Parts: sequence; C-alpha cells; structure tokens
Amino acid sequence: MADGFSATPDPRPPNSRYHAHLVTHLVHYVLVYGISLIFINVLLEQLGAPVPAVPALIVAGALSRDGKMSSTNILLAAIAASLIADYMWFLLGRRYGYRILRTLCRISLSPDSCVRDTEARFERWGLKSLLIAKFIPGFSTVAPPLAGASGRTTFAFVIYDGIGALIWAGASVAAGRAFHHAIDRLLAALENLGGWALVVIGLLLLVLIAVKWAQRIHFLKQLRLARIEPHELKAMLDRGEFPVVIDVRTPGARKHNPRSIPNAILVHMDDVATQLGDVAPHAEVVLYCT
Amino acid sequence: MLIDKGYTKVRPLAGGLDGWIDAGFPVEDVA
Repeated sequence: MADGFSATPDPRPPNSRYHAHLVTHLVHYVLVYGISLIFINVLLEQLGAPVPAVPALIVAGALSRDGKMSSTNILLAAIAASLIADYMWFLLGRRYGYRILRTLCRISLSPDSCVRDTEARFERWGLKSLLIAKFIPGFSTVAPPLAGASGRTTFAFVIYDGIGALIWAGASVAAGRAFHHAIDRLLAALENLGGWALVVIGLLLLVLIAVKWAQRIHFLKQLRLARIEPHELKAMLDRGEFPVVIDVRTPGARKHNPRSIPNAILVHMDDVATQLGDVAPHAEVVLYCT
Repeated sequence: MLIDKGYTKVRPLAGGLDGWIDAGFPVEDVA
C-alpha cells in the first residue's frame, strides 16, 4: 500500500480499539497543548490544589528527550506558573500576616506541616529555604506566605523563589530525560490498555486524594478532642487553677506579635521538655503557638 | 514530646494566641 497505512487488521475488539483511539487522541492533545497543561498543572498545585505536577514534568521531560516537546518551554512554563502562584501567596502573607498560615494548614492535605514547624524551618534557613521548599511536602505552599508575613522584599523573594522553581522543575525534567526509555514504555503500555488506562490513572488519583483527606480528618478529629478552647482556659485561670501555659512560638512570631497570655512560659518547642523539669507530671499543661 | 516525658494532661490551645486575643482575653507584653 502506497498510502503508508498498514493493511493488517487490528485484532482487538471494536470497543477496545475505540478506547485505544481515545488514549492516542489524549496523548496527541498532551503533545499539542503540553506546555499549557504543564502551566495549569503547576499553577494549580502551587495554589494548593491536590494535583501533583511532578509526574507531568517527568513525562514532559521524557517527551522533550524524544524531541516532541521543548525542555526550555517546559521549564519556562513551570517557573512562570510557580512564580505567579507563589507571588499571590506572598502578597496574601504580607497582607494578612501569620493568620494566612492557619488558613493554609486548615485546607492543606498535609496535616503534618503545621504552622510552627514551617515557621521554625523558615526561620532557620530564611529565604534560602525557598530553594528547596518545593521538594518538601506541605512546605512548598506555606513558604511563600511565610516570606510575605515576615516582611521579606519582593525582589529577594522573586529571585529565591524563581531559582527554587528552576531547581525543582529542572530536576523533574532531567529525571524524565534520564529515564525516557522507561517512560516511553509506560506510555506505550497505557496506550495499549486503552480506556482502562484513564480509569486506572483516575482511580489512583482518587485513592491518593481520599487517603490524604482521611489522614486530615483523623488528624483534625484528634486535635479537636485534645484541644482546649480559649474560654475554657480563661475559666480555669479565673477559678485559680493555674495550669502551666507555655508559649511555643518561634522568636520570629514573638517579634511579629510581642504579646503573650499572662504568666505564660516562653520556651522553644525543642527545649520544652527540659524547661518543665520541676513541673509535676500530673499538672495541666496548655501549649499555644501563633 | 511532653507526653513521652510522662505529662498526661497536655492540650494545645484552640486558635492559638490569635484565638485568645480574638476572644477578648487579656495579654501582656513579651519582655
């Protein structure tokens, strides 16, 4: 046949052929709109949506190795999206201060990244933490508003955040280029799976989100059970019960808001156990941060 | 950490210092 089409009949049933065709179309769209998809994916992830961008960057890296996409364009799209989202968080941090961190922790799917931990990490490393922030789950979204809340300049923020985005996206694209043979095989296998590939990917994504939500709900439930409300603490103090109240905020947070609950003990969280050496183990202890 | 040290009644304050201030309760300046 001179038209280049194979005359060999496709042995798969019509329904399977239709789904394989669908995936081929999907891959085609990924190739055509790949840069826009990368931009949207990174933007959503950096805004806090549970849509991981690293797999897409790795696949894009593999496609760039095969000459199907431009690695420069992939990096530019990822850095631009990242900077836009992070700058929005930076501005919110600058406007609303440390309160924005609590909102972020509330909506975050990473309950392990609490305000105090991220504050401590940011205070230890300063703006340099932005260079590796995107590799640390939870810290990625919290670091930019923290930079804004702590009064860092826009110029310094953009420089460090841009380099951080370049390192993060560059590492993912480089990984895709390095393992492009394996990724090509994976894409081919997905294409052979036809419509089931979409089902598998969709299910994996749903399971990932469900597990994160379940962890978050469990964490919040435990926290609710264990917490003491401000009016309860006030009533205890008024009754003369005098629980041991400990301010475990970081020095930066205390500098930002130089007030504390009357008679609270100001200690760093790492030293709290040693600082309470003379307090009886059965004493009521109340901890607070920002 | 405190529970590991034997403290059995350890509770975080809901809302932190901001929650305490928002409730209108007194604060003192940090020296």
